[in-house]
Amino acid sequence: MAVRKTAEQIKDEILASLKEEPLSIEQLRKKVESNWSTTSSYLEELKKEGKVKEVISADKAKIYQRIFGDTYFDIPITDLERKKFRTLFSMIIKMYKKGSQIPNKTQLAKAAVRVINSSESGLSELPTVWYLYGMIPLMIVDPSQDYQEEIVFEHNQKIKGIIKIFIKSSCDKKTKQIQKEQHIEYDDKLYQLADKFLELTENNLWNKDKIFEVLNEFFIVCPISGEFKDVFILTERFISTIRKLSYFDKLENHRTKILLTFDALWKFIATCKFYETISLKRRFSNKSILDLYLGGAISFRKECAEESLSDLYSIYLSKLDNRKLELSPDAEKVREIMQGWTGED
Amino acid sequence: MDKESFIDTNVIVHYANYQEDKSIDILNKCYSYVINKKGKFIICYMVIKELYRVMGQLSIIHKEVLMKVKNNNHSMKNNNNLSEKDLAFAEKIYSTYKQTEVKKLTEILSSEREIFEISIERFLKTQVDEKVIPIEQIQTELVNKIHDIILNHADCKILASALQLQKTRGLFLFVTADGKDLAPNHYDFLIDHFKINYPREKYIFPELLNLMFTK
Repeated sequence: MAVRKTAEQIKDEILASLKEEPLSIEQLRKKVESNWSTTSSYLEELKKEGKVKEVISADKAKIYQRIFGDTYFDIPITDLERKKFRTLFSMIIKMYKKGSQIPNKTQLAKAAVRVINSSESGLSELPTVWYLYGMIPLMIVDPSQDYQEEIVFEHNQKIKGIIKIFIKSSCDKKTKQIQKEQHIEYDDKLYQLADKFLELTENNLWNKDKIFEVLNEFFIVCPISGEFKDVFILTERFISTIRKLSYFDKLENHRTKILLTFDALWKFIATCKFYETISLKRRFSNKSILDLYLGGAISFRKECAEESLSDLYSIYLSKLDNRKLELSPDAEKVREIMQGWTGED
Repeated sequence: MDKESFIDTNVIVHYANYQEDKSIDILNKCYSYVINKKGKFIICYMVIKELYRVMGQLSIIHKEVLMKVKNNNHSMKNNNNLSEKDLAFAEKIYSTYKQTEVKKLTEILSSEREIFEISIERFLKTQVDEKVIPIEQIQTELVNKIHDIILNHADCKILASALQLQKTRGLFLFVTADGKDLAPNHYDFLIDHFKINYPREKYIFPELLNLMFTK
């Protein structure tokens, strides 16, 4: 006679099945060998307990995703990776504490990235991603947590050496500076330009020419291919709106709106960048699964950016008047070339 | 009383690209039609959508040119960003400016683009008297009927908007600068096609004013 599983057993099996990827009720039902309605009701309970969440797939099917809570977008990592991350975070915090310091989130994340990306650490398999402030470990760092050294790394001493150098070189630097240096270290132009833009707009008086120089570079560097087409379209819209607004009003008069729009746009760009960097890793290369984790976030960020851009554009339209604007002789030449172009296919 | 003008996308694009004493005939005609405005100007929301798409497309052309100037190995052909027509214009700009410093060229192209955009936006803000037919109200069935003859989907939607509007008011002008699909003989062919195939609906076509074919 078959032994009837307890509710807890079925729920554990559901959670175990969701460890690697999100699944539909039908897929879960087969894995836990239960019927549809039982599986569905346990999923509802797990949802209430905050252990799983519902996501909608591209074909509008209901899919369940496990909530880990310790990785960005709840993207799964293995138990071993989790232990390695925690051990590394623990080592970093300990070394900061030795110098009577407690690292902040940025210091902890950037130190971890420095170790992971060092060829001497032997930890290069630990996933890192680009996100809002640069490269970070896929596992969320939390300096207030009591991380333990759960395993002994093969290159423990070398790792300690890398951490020591990092702490020494960054102890008197502000968070922003550490971030900026990382963007330079990895030669990521887009992040560097975002840093420059924010730096220039910190001043009370804006140097329009310098801001435009940075935005022009942003236009060139901004990716356009494949999944990044929307990033380019929104970025271009942001740049052109600011440039056009400058003909009719002082940009500083709209400082808050411009910065809020840039923030919304940057969040969208950085989420796409996250998607791009993680999809390059073999294990996350299945785009339909990755879309389940990140699709909703990307759409949401895009909507926010569009909404913010629309507000900024309305400001520009309200300032638009009939003053005469002259084309430079060079721009006139471009226009001559474009005669007859209508943009129609 | 002057007839109302339902303006097509290309007329506004040509108007925005106009340069005094330097423009080709069609740009002069479109510019002149706008500044010597007679009667109300009507724009449908599909034309507005198309205008924003055109502005975006110009920035993609410029971006491709800049990428090519920056790196000669960049291929403007091997991506889906540019249509064949766009590519021809992109190549012309590239061959004229390939020796120019990227930074300088970016500024030249940006300033040209923004003046172009401002002209369109000013047109929409100050010259348009009425905006009609929200996109979601365009009748799909009618679009499909037009599609029998005209292949460009956006053009079909614009024409469908015009036909829907024409049902509700006196005869107006459909003003275009399309030398191909909306050439007078093609337009007549479309009207005949509707008379033969969809006689019951009794569609009334606006009067065509194709600036490509006026003196």
